[in-house]
Amino acid sequence: MHAFNRREFLRLASIAAAAAALPRTVGAAPTVAARVVVVGGGFGGASVAKYLRIWGADQVRVTLVEPSSSHVACILSNLVVTGALSMDRITLGYSALKKRGVIVEQAAVTAINYGGSTGSVSLSNGKKLAYDHLVLAPGIDFVPPPNDPQDWDPEITPHAWKAGLQTLMLKQQLAGMRNGDTFVLTVPKSPYRCPPGPYERACVVADYLKRKQRSLAKVVVLDANAGIQAEPLAFEQAFNSIYRGMIEYIPNATVSSVNSQARTIVTSAGTWSNVRVLNYIPNQRAAAIGPENGGNRGLPHLNAQGFVPVDALSYAVSGHPNVHVIGDACAVPASEGKGVPKSGHMANAEAKVCADAILRALKGEAPDSNVATGSACFSPITAKTASWLSGNFNYGDIYDAAGKVKGKGMHRVDLDEAPKINGDNYEDMFTWAEGLFADSFV
Amino acid sequence: MSFKAISRQLMLPFALLLTATPGAHAAPPAGRLLASQCAQCHGSNGNGPGFDEIAGKSASELRKDLLEMKRRPVEGIMDRQARGYTDAQIKLIADYLAAYTRGGDN
Repeated sequence: MHAFNRREFLRLASIAAAAAALPRTVGAAPTVAARVVVVGGGFGGASVAKYLRIWGADQVRVTLVEPSSSHVACILSNLVVTGALSMDRITLGYSALKKRGVIVEQAAVTAINYGGSTGSVSLSNGKKLAYDHLVLAPGIDFVPPPNDPQDWDPEITPHAWKAGLQTLMLKQQLAGMRNGDTFVLTVPKSPYRCPPGPYERACVVADYLKRKQRSLAKVVVLDANAGIQAEPLAFEQAFNSIYRGMIEYIPNATVSSVNSQARTIVTSAGTWSNVRVLNYIPNQRAAAIGPENGGNRGLPHLNAQGFVPVDALSYAVSGHPNVHVIGDACAVPASEGKGVPKSGHMANAEAKVCADAILRALKGEAPDSNVATGSACFSPITAKTASWLSGNFNYGDIYDAAGKVKGKGMHRVDLDEAPKINGDNYEDMFTWAEGLFADSFV
Repeated sequence: MSFKAISRQLMLPFALLLTATPGAHAAPPAGRLLASQCAQCHGSNGNGPGFDEIAGKSASELRKDLLEMKRRPVEGIMDRQARGYTDAQIKLIADYLAAYTRGGDN
């Protein structure tokens, strides 16, 4: 053993003192923990907070900012609408994250200073959090219909596309339907949260009505897109065979106005007036951070569709290397027509890539470029059967519509749906959800 | 107390710092980020909650299973997911899971 000089001694003493003061943290960096602020407590925000603590331990002080005391998952929420599941099955709290050392601030963001090394987040509880890295995972906001937007009121005609009270309102309205009534549902223009979700909802609503002996009721699906956006084989089979005569599918239906009081919707494919349930799911964009009227709605940048373009390896925003956006709010560079889907599973996948990149950046390292993300989900088709959808992305060249390389990003290497709708898939759906809930929130 | 005596007392925590956990400047183990994408369905430690346990298996077994799923006709969702990774990525994932997960370690 060699003798220590004074400088080495002081360095070692400070390490030992830190280790002694914090018995759990043996092995922690002898430096001040980096401050990471995460805004939004959905699947992306919870997962990034969790994995920063698992991988970064006491190198990072992680604060999660979320106004609600728990997150209500959109995943499985269509089964709450039909009464198959209760709300507590999809309500996810933050106690496990707190046990992992995540500081949870139950507050809203009032302003963000994107000031590089001096950036900070101001909260509704008066606190101001300085950050070394900021992760925004705010989810989505809805774009009001273009004409007479003041006539649209989601408290009367629920979207139920953010789960919670909206889910229960739609459940109540569905339960009030009589035989011969009409349920109108819209599919937003892509990209939107959960591509198979609206079609899945049409199926489980039709199934519910059938089981309640209201087979003369109708479900009208007004799709803003030219065709079914996910699991076309399963949903075509559902619409054309399983629910033939009950579900009417209408593509290319662009919504121009919605009158919630009159439960009337005007689209390019026709007008539906005074329907029993109007489940208008509006077009979507990244959720505003702080005041709605701020520039870019409080976000550092927006693309033409209202989402935040990010780097595919770090999820950093151009010009802001320490500001990251993950989940539904971000736009990941991808090959034309092969976009990265907005889903809880994908938000979890992106959170891990982002957490790893932040921890490397704190050591002065470049992000890992051997990166894969994916999404897997199960869609109930009836009360006993389901389909699934699987998509995988790998970092590398991405292509334009003509097949020419246009840059680097997450190229979709595989996408397909279940070969069959069946009962095994329905059982697997709960295993999948339980796993994803735990990996994100526990 | 001399420097030497103090430094000897410091050796125990210092030794722990070197061996107990990767230090602040150690690069993350290869395959960790790729393997973390298994956790959504197999648990953060590879043994649930979720589908089949992937913790505590040998690298060769994991690799063989993944390559088989990648190449056989698609039946279950994992046959598709395996197609999302290159053979080299599958090796990294299998090596990482074998080295860093333990069966029953939830």
